[in-house]
Amino acid sequence: MSDIESELEFELHRVLDPMAALPIPTRRMAQSRGPVRALMGGAGAALTLKLLTGVAVAAAAVTVAGVATTGSLNPANWGQQVTTQVANCKAQLADGQHGIGDCVSGFASQHGAAVASDARHHGNGNDATKDNGGQNSNGNANGHGKDKAKDQPPTKGQSTAPPTVDPEPVDQVPPHPPVHIPPQP
Amino acid sequence: MEPEQHYEAGSEADFERLYRNTYRRIFGTLITLVRDRATAEDCAQETFERAYRNWASWRPDAPVEAWLHRIAINVAISDRRHQGLRQAGEMVRRLGRPAGGPDPALVAERSDLIAAMKKLPTKQAAALVLRHYHGYTNREIASALGVPEQTVASRLATARKHLQAVLSR
Repeated sequence: MSDIESELEFELHRVLDPMAALPIPTRRMAQSRGPVRALMGGAGAALTLKLLTGVAVAAAAVTVAGVATTGSLNPANWGQQVTTQVANCKAQLADGQHGIGDCVSGFASQHGAAVASDARHHGNGNDATKDNGGQNSNGNANGHGKDKAKDQPPTKGQSTAPPTVDPEPVDQVPPHPPVHIPPQP
Repeated sequence: MEPEQHYEAGSEADFERLYRNTYRRIFGTLITLVRDRATAEDCAQETFERAYRNWASWRPDAPVEAWLHRIAINVAISDRRHQGLRQAGEMVRRLGRPAGGPDPALVAERSDLIAAMKKLPTKQAAALVLRHYHGYTNREIASALGVPEQTVASRLATARKHLQAVLSR
């Protein structure tokens, strides 16, 4: 046996033999690697995190969509109101009269205006005092995000003033006289 | 190697006996392969868990301890791959460990030789400890590692050469 082999043997026994005195721990049962450990450790943890993130994002999306559609955290509210209104509109129809579209549409418009107004009062809308550049006065109050022009510079002639109930200012400058362009020879 | 004993595959009582008879030797091998005592304990438990799951299908065509060592070495290789992920947990465990007398496992951790062996490729270090600590023959090591005897001889020679260079510095 070479020197290095003898040295290795000696050193390994010197270092590892005392470990024979260590107590033997209780055997970890194979069953203890249950679903919790599988979920909390190794690749399981990464999958669990992804799954939980996915569920959280989906839940948040559903909630936001519900609020955006109904103006309420309870999506059942608006649906119930519409059902009631449809029934009312049907009841209001005279004999031989058809179509409740206008009636239901009127109700929907009122609801939209009410939700927008409420959102403005609670600061949820595109309040001109907020830091949105003060450019969009369309009052997309319930955050539907349908306004494509949001965050874009206003087009020429588009008002940038906040919504107001005051009468529009009258332009004091007299109109330009018509320009006459003589026909070319 | 453990004196040859008879074990019946699938027997719960025999597996418990196997655990009692071989735990320290498997742990001794693992402490030369993985980072520290806590990891070696974890890997030893993982080794016996894996062995237990396959206990019913174990065939006594090779010594049972060689079979366990094969599992243990695979566990150690896997642990080295995922070493980074475990570092935070190990730190917490280390900080929480009460101070005591001279711990043989800590002595092992501080040994220059063991430190040098931990830097070797796992299979080379495993061949060394099986050969020079457990007294396996090259054939038994080949059986434990699932490689030809020539490969074992080659790994042993490379590992010794590397250790000699490191320890003589």
